[in-house]
Amino acid sequence: MAQEHRNLFSGGRRRFTPWLLLAPGLGIYLLISVGPSLATAIYSFTDATGIRGLPISWVGLDNYDEFLLQGARSRDNIDALQRTLLFMAVVTVVQFGIGLVMALLVNQNLRGRMFFRTLFFVPVILGAVVQGLMWKLFLRPGGGPMDTLIGWFGLESQFLTGPSAFYWVIVVQIWANAGFTMVIFLAGLQSIPSELNEAAAVDGASGWQLFRNVTWPQLTPAVNTNFLLNIIGSLQAWILFLVLVGYRNGTQVLGYVVFAEGFGQTGNNTFRQGFAAAASIVLFLLVLVLGMTANFVVARRERKYLG
Amino acid sequence: MTVTEVLTAPVRDDGGSTARRRRTKLASYAILLAFAAFYIGPLLMLVSASFKTLPEFFRDPTGLPENLEANNYTEAWDLANFPGYMLNSLIYTVVATTLFVIMSVFVAFPIARGYVKGSRALLTLYVVALFLPPALIPQFQLILNFGDIPVLGDLFFSFWPEGSQQQGLFNTKTGYILLFLTNPIGLIILVNYIKSIPRELDESAVVDGCGYARFVFTILMPLIRPALATVIVIHAIGIWNELILATIYLTSDDNYPITRGLIVFEGVYGSDWPKLAAAVLMLMMPMLVLYLFLQRYIISGLTAGAIKG
Repeated sequence: MAQEHRNLFSGGRRRFTPWLLLAPGLGIYLLISVGPSLATAIYSFTDATGIRGLPISWVGLDNYDEFLLQGARSRDNIDALQRTLLFMAVVTVVQFGIGLVMALLVNQNLRGRMFFRTLFFVPVILGAVVQGLMWKLFLRPGGGPMDTLIGWFGLESQFLTGPSAFYWVIVVQIWANAGFTMVIFLAGLQSIPSELNEAAAVDGASGWQLFRNVTWPQLTPAVNTNFLLNIIGSLQAWILFLVLVGYRNGTQVLGYVVFAEGFGQTGNNTFRQGFAAAASIVLFLLVLVLGMTANFVVARRERKYLG
Repeated sequence: MTVTEVLTAPVRDDGGSTARRRRTKLASYAILLAFAAFYIGPLLMLVSASFKTLPEFFRDPTGLPENLEANNYTEAWDLANFPGYMLNSLIYTVVATTLFVIMSVFVAFPIARGYVKGSRALLTLYVVALFLPPALIPQFQLILNFGDIPVLGDLFFSFWPEGSQQQGLFNTKTGYILLFLTNPIGLIILVNYIKSIPRELDESAVVDGCGYARFVFTILMPLIRPALATVIVIHAIGIWNELILATIYLTSDDNYPITRGLIVFEGVYGSDWPKLAAAVLMLMMPMLVLYLFLQRYIISGLTAGAIKG
């Protein structure tokens, strides 16, 4: 808790020094972050473009109407919305599972566990460009490594250039972030009192019983954190789509729609910033509602396990 | 347990029979190696491709290169204005991170100490940022129309005559750097850490006649080095890896950071994977080296929002 204290340094004339030195940081923060964040709602009711000096006029709910209800284009948007939810569901569940398995494995007394921990976290720091280009090469059709690999099982795919592109982006997304989930689980695992494990071992608990009755309930904070972060993160994630497949019908998620509409990437090079602002408010509300729902579920779970 | 310890913590032995333990161990290694293949594979493929000639790559994309020549590296370096991109990335990262950290310490210190009125409300202002809608669109309007802002716009460009008030801060290095001068999570990390520094220190500094700014620079900053390292590292990584803002705000080759440059390079030489792979490796090397040396700061910083130490 921040308590207010008499500023020890403020002898008479220097009373304003803290404010003076705080001003640049705070001012820039308000100007660059908070102000624009709040203004997004206002822009969503206008027909703002990306052209300087063009008059901006108030259009009421037109942008929302067009985005959600009007004609063929809104079909695409609703599709994008559904795809965003699918993306969220798959990424959340699979990344959660893989992260948990990784954490359980590297938390054992195994030689090389440090190497695996380090390795699984590497993609997180590489950024979308490296992640994306790396996998573009790895998923190269016609003799690429993944192509060769699935070929052994008699399968084939056009990967990022074909109809399954959306699912391959999901694979890369999970690959890129599973290490993050793992680290959070690892922190949770390491905070479980060792007496609990020992007591369970003395009682002759099997591995599964140990996990079910000790590890899983004790892991509640990490489980909840990962659950929430995965949901919120995957709803907003879209940059790998940009690097891996570009703006292509049948793959876009909401975040990408916002960017593409706002910055002329939809093919017709118009910067529909008012419309994009409305789309980003729709996405924001989606994140808010799902985030709060998840938070509610998580809080109930926490009460159940931790009292 | 703090996050910094997560990666290095020792492992407890949970008991169990020897035979069962050996079975578990074998199964564990099998699964870990299967995972690892998907983490090492793409990297290995990148390295392997970067040493191939183009015909060699087309003949056999997956196999190992016939000989190890660094031609692709030197050619990619020359072809793509890489030195320029790299320099830009370096400028953006170093300048924005330095400015951000110095400004933030002067925001975090009085907030942590309660030396300014409403410090609690100020901290809340940074916490709620995580729950606000994205700033993307209005931010663009702000940068584009920066010259038209009453007073501020005139003032700004009177101090910066080389800038064009007409185009605002769009497609300028200054404008791009400005975008990276905020980071609420970084600020919150600093506030929390400064709270752990005893207040008696301030008192004795005052008694010794040490001024406010001098105290922050010479006494506080060395004491909060771990937090500074964490914030610097996560902020710098964010800037180095940024692609979206570079795509939105920068339109000329002279201003591209390496990420944007690489996407442009991909657009031109997209099918020349050996060169592209060499270029990707050159982009990731600095990050990879940094990661290996500063792992604990990087991981604690990146997960700071998630785990309460």
